[in-house]
Amino acid sequence: MGPLRAASEGDELPLVEVLPNAEMVIRYCGLSWSFPSLFYDVDAARAQGMPGTIVPGPVKLGLLSQVVEQWLEGDGWVRGVRAANRRPDVVGRPLTVTGRVVSHRDSDSIEQADIELTVTNESGQTTVRGFATVEFNSDRPR
Amino acid sequence: MEQKPLITDEVRALIGTKSPSSKVTLTRRGAERAMEVFRRHRERSLQEGDEAPACAIVALESEVDGVAIPQLMPDTLMVGDEWDFERPLVVGESLTGETVLADISERFGGRFGYAITVRTEFRLSDSRGRVVAKSVRTMMHYDGRTAEGTR
Repeated sequence: MGPLRAASEGDELPLVEVLPNAEMVIRYCGLSWSFPSLFYDVDAARAQGMPGTIVPGPVKLGLLSQVVEQWLEGDGWVRGVRAANRRPDVVGRPLTVTGRVVSHRDSDSIEQADIELTVTNESGQTTVRGFATVEFNSDRPR
Repeated sequence: MEQKPLITDEVRALIGTKSPSSKVTLTRRGAERAMEVFRRHRERSLQEGDEAPACAIVALESEVDGVAIPQLMPDTLMVGDEWDFERPLVVGESLTGETVLADISERFGGRFGYAITVRTEFRLSDSRGRVVAKSVRTMMHYDGRTAEGTR
């Protein structure tokens, strides 16, 4: 369910499947003006112990924030989002992002929720553990 | 072979080092380019004064110098990152950005063998000096030739 109805602990965010491809990585490198070779050069990535070219960490953080913002549907904003990268994700392989509301509070007219997030690769391995805190707009329906 | 620590007092003394601060402006184009990374530019177009999505902070990070870190290990991997906001960034607003070397630590063992972790904070402050947003990165420096890695 989306947040238009009152968010409560245990609510699941819609599962999102994403394919972080080379185009996404190139766009990120251009935006950040950061070009580590392990993002686009397979041989360089393998020489650094990686299974292939890997998805930049901030791209995965951006995907987590995107999933949360889409769930918010404009009724709030992301106060914080963080990611612990457990395993590298290889460019061009699908990922699944899931989320669950683990805490909800409403005090002094400020309504916030904490969300646990997980990125899973096609082998079912958790590659990122994430966490977000959102603040709902005060004028949204409750 | 036993790994000798590479973090010396000289390296530890770098903790707290700040980059020169710079004025940065979140332009509409910058915010939209950040959205384009995630193919979100079709969701909505932005105008000056609009609240920007969280990912827009990426458009500002490269506008500020980083902090020079000695190259103690040959390879680098991001192991953690976070964005924190006191309020949403607004398209068209100007802020002051700086990067701080927040911590350096080392780790023995694990999949990557001996590794050094470096945490940096990119901070955006308003005209009153209040930090309105941060991007925190934890980078692991390691040697890919000896790391088991994640193959």
